[in-house]
Amino acid sequence: MAVDLLTRTVRGLGGRLVRLVLLLAAVATASFALMVHSPVDPVDAYVGGDLAAIGPEQRAQIAERWGLDDPPLERFATWLGNVVQGDLGRSLSFNQPVTEVIGERFLPSLALMATAWVLSGLFGFGLGVLAGTRQGRFADRAVCWWAYTLASAPTFWVGLLLLYVFSVSLGWTPVCCAVPVGVLADDVTLLDRLHHLVLPALTLSVVGVAPVVLHTRQAVIEALASDHVAFARAQGESTRGVVVHSVLRNAAAPAVLLQFASLGELFGGSVLAEQVFSYPGLGAATTTAALGQDVPLLLGIALFTTVFVFVGNQLGDLVHARLDPRVARETAGAR
Amino acid sequence: MRATRRFGPLAGAVVLATVLTGCGDSEPSTAAGAPSELVLAIGGESEDGYDPTLGWGRYGSPLFQSTLLARDADLGVVPDLATDWAVSGDGLVWTVDLRADARFTDGEPVTAQDVAYTFSTASRSGGLTDVTALREAVAVDDDTVELRLQRPQSTFVNRLISLGIVPEHAHGPDYARNPVGSGPFELVQWDEGQQLIVQRNDDYYGDQPAFERIVFQFTGEDASIAAASAGQLDLAAVPAQLAPTQVPGMTLLEVESVDNRGLTFPVVPDTGATTDDGAPIGNDVTSDVAVRRAINLAVDRQALVDGVLEGYGSPATGPVDGLPWYEPDSAIEDADLDGAEQLLEEAGWVDSDGDGVREKDGVRAAFSLLYPASDSLRQGLALSVADMIAPVGVEITAKGESWDVIDQRLHADAVLFGWGSLDPTEMYNLYSSTQAGVEYWNPGFYTDPDVDAHLEAAMTATDPAAAEEHWRAAQYDGEGTGFGPSGDAAWAWLVNLDHTYVVDGCLDLGAPRIEPHGHGWPVTAGITGWQWTC
Repeated sequence: MAVDLLTRTVRGLGGRLVRLVLLLAAVATASFALMVHSPVDPVDAYVGGDLAAIGPEQRAQIAERWGLDDPPLERFATWLGNVVQGDLGRSLSFNQPVTEVIGERFLPSLALMATAWVLSGLFGFGLGVLAGTRQGRFADRAVCWWAYTLASAPTFWVGLLLLYVFSVSLGWTPVCCAVPVGVLADDVTLLDRLHHLVLPALTLSVVGVAPVVLHTRQAVIEALASDHVAFARAQGESTRGVVVHSVLRNAAAPAVLLQFASLGELFGGSVLAEQVFSYPGLGAATTTAALGQDVPLLLGIALFTTVFVFVGNQLGDLVHARLDPRVARETAGAR
Repeated sequence: MRATRRFGPLAGAVVLATVLTGCGDSEPSTAAGAPSELVLAIGGESEDGYDPTLGWGRYGSPLFQSTLLARDADLGVVPDLATDWAVSGDGLVWTVDLRADARFTDGEPVTAQDVAYTFSTASRSGGLTDVTALREAVAVDDDTVELRLQRPQSTFVNRLISLGIVPEHAHGPDYARNPVGSGPFELVQWDEGQQLIVQRNDDYYGDQPAFERIVFQFTGEDASIAAASAGQLDLAAVPAQLAPTQVPGMTLLEVESVDNRGLTFPVVPDTGATTDDGAPIGNDVTSDVAVRRAINLAVDRQALVDGVLEGYGSPATGPVDGLPWYEPDSAIEDADLDGAEQLLEEAGWVDSDGDGVREKDGVRAAFSLLYPASDSLRQGLALSVADMIAPVGVEITAKGESWDVIDQRLHADAVLFGWGSLDPTEMYNLYSSTQAGVEYWNPGFYTDPDVDAHLEAAMTATDPAAAEEHWRAAQYDGEGTGFGPSGDAAWAWLVNLDHTYVVDGCLDLGAPRIEPHGHGWPVTAGITGWQWTC
């Protein structure tokens, strides 16, 4: 029995790995094809406002330094060969190895995304349960209104709004960056970092709250209407008891799945939030890379986020299966 | 650290109070209130680091490195790391003598070998500084270096002005993130995407900056305005649209620039010719000099400045307004609709079918004016120009396009471009027939033998005064020839933008210099002379 379980786990893990590798290959090929056909010329993007001062000879030098002279297929093959050996190449816009660029910028982004993710999950779930149990009453209408407003508000705009209210008018939070302006790295405290994290994280959490609220609300309403709740009520269980014992677990499943599935959106949102708050994470680097047509860095980030989102989704599956044994049986049966 | 940083609004009020009561009194500039640190938000982060051989320092101050020559407030060339320089009779060899007292911040002296290394590295590096004219750089002895060129180039002096010298012993792939130089400041910390902290280099051979530490904050425009409003900044670059916003405790500074906008005309007729890439060349309307002159004459540039730039700019008559090599006689009196109509009549452009647009030999006086669709300023200018020209019977259709489309059409339609450089090479590139169709230079295929001769003479001159003479004559030679509006009117220059900044009322940036294309970092050109006046 134990051996059986072990082989099943290994086989499952192997299957997932194969899927990941295929996914990465597809993402890399598609991204490269898109970038090669992009109308933005990397040398033009690099030269930018210096058009007047950079002659054809210098342009040729730049193209040569970046290896742009080779045909696209050859460039892709070279890049792929290097990736297999663990070398993601050198970023054009940062003049630094891609792995270093991603490594330096992922930590701030991770802190930002993790905070936003937890915030939106907890708030979303809490509000959803509240709305679902008070269906049709004032609290429900208020929460729904709030959720629809958030769902239709662009991250960028919410960020600017928060910036003006909390940083400029009230002066409670800093205007920019992940660290205080003018302070040396050694003197930056954890409190400073948290202080700088609050507003961007709040902005980013807005992206994820609305869907969680609405799905949780629906799941709560369905659970409350089910036979086992009616049975519990008939046995004299209070509303609070019904919610805690019979509804929460049912309602949590879609919320958890959604939260894990939203990692891609979360990353997309961080690109905007980091831009507004000059927060130096992976999102800001993505913007720079895209504007500069920095193919190695963009491919590196695409691969990295693919792994990130893939792992997130797999974790979502696992947690979902733990929460709802029916799912675990179904997936096991399907294999 | 100054107290204002922490207590924003309060400090703003204090600063304002000081401005109202204290300044204007003849107090010495070293009053107790002078901060040791400045915080600036003027953009200009160099994402690929601070390596001059890759182009760092081509605008404003290179901070960490020093240059052989420098420009003073009037844009005259003065020695810096060099004590003396000379150009050989054939213009091919530049001999530069170095000062002996300059040291890098690691204690090593700056030698001729370092200079030679810097120039030869930059000439091969494939960065944003074009030193391809250099054949070789040789250290003749400890304090003399010879820069040998492939071709005479009087504008090579701009490389001596903009290329910061790097130490050969400490230069490598990591240099861009750990710059070592002989400039007025040293790098303390660079939080990429956020801020750059620099401190005064006490061993700097030149005038010591008045501030011990300077923090450059790399925020977007909105965040910069927010930070300035919160009293956290001493200087911020603000876009002209936001310039009227009042920031407490800060004053608005408008700096003139050659950051210009103008339209280029295809100067040759449409004969069906194309470039190697298949882009059509020529336009039968704008190839008539009378049409180009009439447009130059009819445009009301002051109205463009007031209407489109909201006053933050000046009328442009050429690509180099106000620079030492500008020829004032090339300018014309504009907003002259009658004069424009007369020119067109004389040239045979008559509205025979009464539709409000003139014709000549069956050709309607109508053409397209392209601008990058994402640029609202150029859109405003293009639409206004079309409106201004319509009354004289020339129909301009302003079209917002992507650069992709413009790349295909720029030799056959008028295009609204923006240029502006403190290096007259740009003027050469825009008007020399040798640059016709090269890059975005001389897109209209303008050719004039006299202008070409002056441009070549200016480029190959070994005497700066002679070069200036020829640069001027190319614009207008006093006898009716020149590329300017009084001559061939190859372009219709419209406006020069003012670069707007908000500055703490106590910070004196000295006499403003005319800035090139690029708003923000160029303001640091005089950074070592900045003073606190409260």
